[in-house]
This record gives sequence, C-alpha cells and structure tokens, in this order.
Amino acid sequence: MPMTNNNDSVTFTVSRPQRQEDRMDSFEVPCDAYTTVLDGLEYIRTRLDATLMYRHSCHHGSCGTCGMVINGEKRLACTTNVRALESETVTIYPLPMFDHVGDLAVDPTGLFKDFPTGADYRRDSEFNRDARVPEEIETFERFENCIECGLCVSACPITIDWMGPAALSAYNRELQKHPERRDELLSRIDVDRGVWPCDRHLRCSAVCPTGVYPAKHIALLKRAAQKRRDGA
Amino acid sequence: MAGEHVLVIGGGGTGAAIIHDLTQRGYHATLVERGELTAGTTGRHHGQLHSGARYAVGDREIARECMDEVRILQRIAPQSLEMNYGLFVATNAEEAAFGDTFIEACNEATIPARDIPVGEAREMEPLLAAGITRAVQVPDGTLDAWRLPLHFFATAKASGAVIKNFTEVVGLHSSGGRVTGARVVEHARQREYDIDADFVINATGAWAGRVCAMVGIDLPVTPAPGSMVAVNKRLNNMVVSRLRPADDGDIIVPQRKQSIIGSTQWKTDDPDSILARHEDIHFLTERAAEMIPAFAEAPFHAAWSAVRPLAGRADGGDGRGLSRDFNCLDHEADDGVAGFMSVVGGKATVLRAMAEKTVDRLGRILGDDIPCGTAETELLPHRAYFNPALS
Repeated sequence: MPMTNNNDSVTFTVSRPQRQEDRMDSFEVPCDAYTTVLDGLEYIRTRLDATLMYRHSCHHGSCGTCGMVINGEKRLACTTNVRALESETVTIYPLPMFDHVGDLAVDPTGLFKDFPTGADYRRDSEFNRDARVPEEIETFERFENCIECGLCVSACPITIDWMGPAALSAYNRELQKHPERRDELLSRIDVDRGVWPCDRHLRCSAVCPTGVYPAKHIALLKRAAQKRRDGA
Repeated sequence: MAGEHVLVIGGGGTGAAIIHDLTQRGYHATLVERGELTAGTTGRHHGQLHSGARYAVGDREIARECMDEVRILQRIAPQSLEMNYGLFVATNAEEAAFGDTFIEACNEATIPARDIPVGEAREMEPLLAAGITRAVQVPDGTLDAWRLPLHFFATAKASGAVIKNFTEVVGLHSSGGRVTGARVVEHARQREYDIDADFVINATGAWAGRVCAMVGIDLPVTPAPGSMVAVNKRLNNMVVSRLRPADDGDIIVPQRKQSIIGSTQWKTDDPDSILARHEDIHFLTERAAEMIPAFAEAPFHAAWSAVRPLAGRADGGDGRGLSRDFNCLDHEADDGVAGFMSVVGGKATVLRAMAEKTVDRLGRILGDDIPCGTAETELLPHRAYFNPALS
C-alpha cells in the first residue's frame, strides 16, 4: 500500500439496505492527509469486502458518478478529503431521489429522463479568452461544467415529479448556445412539471461540485418563459 | 454468418468499443463488468486525445494509428472531445534540438506538426514558462474518459447488446479444451448464475491475467500504475507537453475547469486499490511548474492513479521499455484453449481500432467474413445510454 505517513484509522459506516433493512456495516480504514472518501471505499472493496457496491470512474471530479451522502452532505466521494471532514467516523448513504441499485450505488437513469434532445455538451472556452487560437480551429472549446452527478436533484426539497435542476440547467445552457431553438426549448419547460415548481430553495446551487448554479439557470428560464407567454 | 453469442468481460474503453463492433457486425453480445462501467483504468485517464506525436519518435506505426483514430473520433463522437490542439515545448537547448527529430517523425506518421514562433506560442498559452525556447504545434486534444466509452455503450445497447455492470466473473466454464461461458455474481441481487457463450473475449486490461488464470493460462501482461494530479484551475486550453522522449510528468492536459499533470509509472502485481504515491504528487507538481509555473500555485484538486495494462512482461525498471501497442491473443493458438481471446495493452485514443482488430480476428477464427463499419458509424450521444429518447 503506497500510503506512507501518519496513518490514522477512521471508521467508515456504509448503508447496505438491499441486504437487510437498516443494515449498516462498519470498516476501519487507514487514512492520511490525501485520503478521499473514494480511496477509503476502494480500500474496503479491494481488501475487506469485495461485494461493496458504489459507482466511481474518474477519481478527479470529472465523470460525476460517485455522488453519495457523506456525513449528511451530498458530495462527490472522489473529491471529499476524509481529514477535512474533521470526524472520526464517516457515515455514507446512497443518494436519495434515485432508484437504488445496491449499497451506495444508485441508478442514474432518472437524471436523464427530462434532458433536452440534441443538447450540445461542448462550449466555447472562456479561459485565456484573448489567446490566439491555432489557425486550424475556430475557437478553443471545452466540455460543459455539468458533470451530471445528480447531487442537485438529490438535494432539491421539491420532491414531486418534475423536470428538476439538472435537466433544466441543460435546457438553459442549450438555449444560451443555440438561441435558434428558443421556441422549441421554452415550450418544453413552460409546463406544470417544468420550471414552475422551483421555489428557489437554492440547495441545488449549494451542492453543485462544478459551479453550474442550477438555480440561476432555472430563474433565467422562468423569465424567458414568462416573456414568451407575454408575447415578447 | 455471425449470430454467435459473444461474451465480453470488462467494461472499460476496450470492452465498450468491442461490444459496439460486435453488435454492428451481427453478433449477439453480452458484456459484464464487476463494478461501474469504466471504473478500472479507462475512467481515470488524464484525458489526452493522442495525435500520436508523443509516440512518433519511438514508434511511427502507433503514432500513425493514433492520428487516424483522432480523425475518426472527431467524426463519430465529437461531443466527447475538446479539440484544441497541443503544444510541445522545449525548456532547454537539448529539448529544443530534439524538435527537429520530433517534427520529422511526426510528419512521417502523417501528423501535422509545425514550429510556432515562441512569441506566438505564448499568445496561445499566456501562462507558459518564461524559459520556453521552442514550441511545436500538433493536433492533440482532450477526451472525456467516462463519456467517450458511453457513446459506444449507448450505440451497442440500442442495437441489442446486453450490458451488465456490477456483475463479476468468478469462474470460466470449459469443456473439451474450449471455453463455453462464465460463472458470474450479480452483486445487486447477490445472485450467482451462468452465462453461456460461443466465444469469450477477455477485455479486462490490467486484470486480464486474473481472468486467464481461471483456465490455467499464464498471460504476459504487466499492470503499470501511474499517478496524476489535478488542480482546480484551467491554466491552458491546448495540451502542453514536454518536447523530449516520453518521460514522467511531461504532459499537462486541460479538462473543463481543471488542469491535470501526468504521469508516472511503476509496476505492480496487484492492480487493485492503487493510490497516488505521495512522492509523485510533489514531483508531478514541480514538473508541471517547469512548463506552466502557475500550476504550483493553483488550488489542489485531486491526486489519483490509474493502472495501465502493458502487453508483455517487464523484467526490471518501471516498464517504460514495454510498448504501448496492444496484443490480441487467440488462446487456442497460443495456449490450446479454444473459444477464448484476450486483449491487452493499447491506449484510450485507439479504442475503436483495437476493437476492429479484435473482432476481425474473431471473424477469422469463427469463419465469418463481415467487414467492420465502425469508422463510418456516428455514435449515439452519451446520454442515450441512460435515456434512448435522447438518441
């Protein structure tokens, strides 16, 4: 094991409801200054219990698969440093609002139910905006901020069946990039289960790990939808 | 004729491209992955889309293949690529002198590489170190290591492929010297059952040796982890690489709002639970700062490690002597075990080509002669894997 200095043991307690209702299993995990919650789960799965289920892929906050509830907060396991939690125990539950698969793994299918069709996942890069661009390309581009982790959806206190903050953010980004789709996009979100259920609790923006600020996108969509209704 | 049932073990980039290719050619295909898709090595990639320039001096053929595949991926999965080009930069006279060899090798591999006056390079990347003395532009880019494979999975699924995550192979069945299927555990339901198959393809990368050992085959594969460090600031739009032969800490890949420095390399017997080595974190940060000094001051975001599956056995050292090429091993020819192939080695950029060669080989073994069409087939969006209505 490559960990070197100052290994303290931390107790990880994980929810395993599909095995038995209310079942919580505890494991002792060595942790140092760099250990993330995902590193801890990897330690458990590869050394203590190979059946532990959780989703993960990139390990650097880019794929959005490892959202879970860590000591009561909805977070990405891969960028949550264990020591920074300042707790001797780490208690983990799967994300609410998604179908449960097993242990800490949820099915992300629901997240994508109301995303816009044909949405562009790339955008112009705003970094070094004045930089000279290679003559072979028109502009520097990058992926959208949204990594589709579902934390916003799981944190939103509105629990009726509605489009939700992730899909609505994608609608507004698409509208910003492709104004020619305005009528089509706004007609989809100006429905009872579209933008209107949002009460601006702002939990979505607070938990977003990549600064999407879904509440801002929903507010902009609401304004655009109202203008369209008013015939503007 | 096709129609045979092929079981693919391993849900990384290789498995993704293989099951797509199999379904395209009319095979019935099932893929099992013990965890979430791409959770092994693929997803942890720093995300460089390789023009092949990095390999051109050492291996023209691999370099040429990378360039071909970049062009193909731009056609079939553009949404998972940041196509911003790359700069190879020299930080000293020796590296600057290497530039001539480098450009010549790139051009021989059909990779357009050209000198950019240092002043212009600095206009492209304002945060480059003051001591840069030469800059060469190449068509590198960034790929999304989770979403690019999802394009393949989504397309395969829409064509009828069965893809099962959290389903672990615990044994291979064989009869009369032929692999006939696998015993799997489905973790969610804690259920164990058999999957019968006319052919089994082992695409488990760094874990391929373990799967082969289930039928007594000793597979030449070397799991070689490398560390990466990400900072929470996009310092460059182009991929910035060191103008010298491949070495540790020689590439800074931008991705969304991050910059990532890769990588290091060592060997391991156990590909599970490899963490970034602490000494690597400091080393990589220092190396990054030699190209882009602001890297050292940017907020730390993550340190992690991925295990490369190198084809072959490393006798000593860190395994850098092993090729990044991939091998497709027919275990009937090599080990007397029929109905079974392993794919080892390779790189994310060439995932489609690896699948094409693997399924070509399968076709020769099974007596099928169905041409590959994946280079011309636009893939479905990554979200279509979860919602077919977004196709």
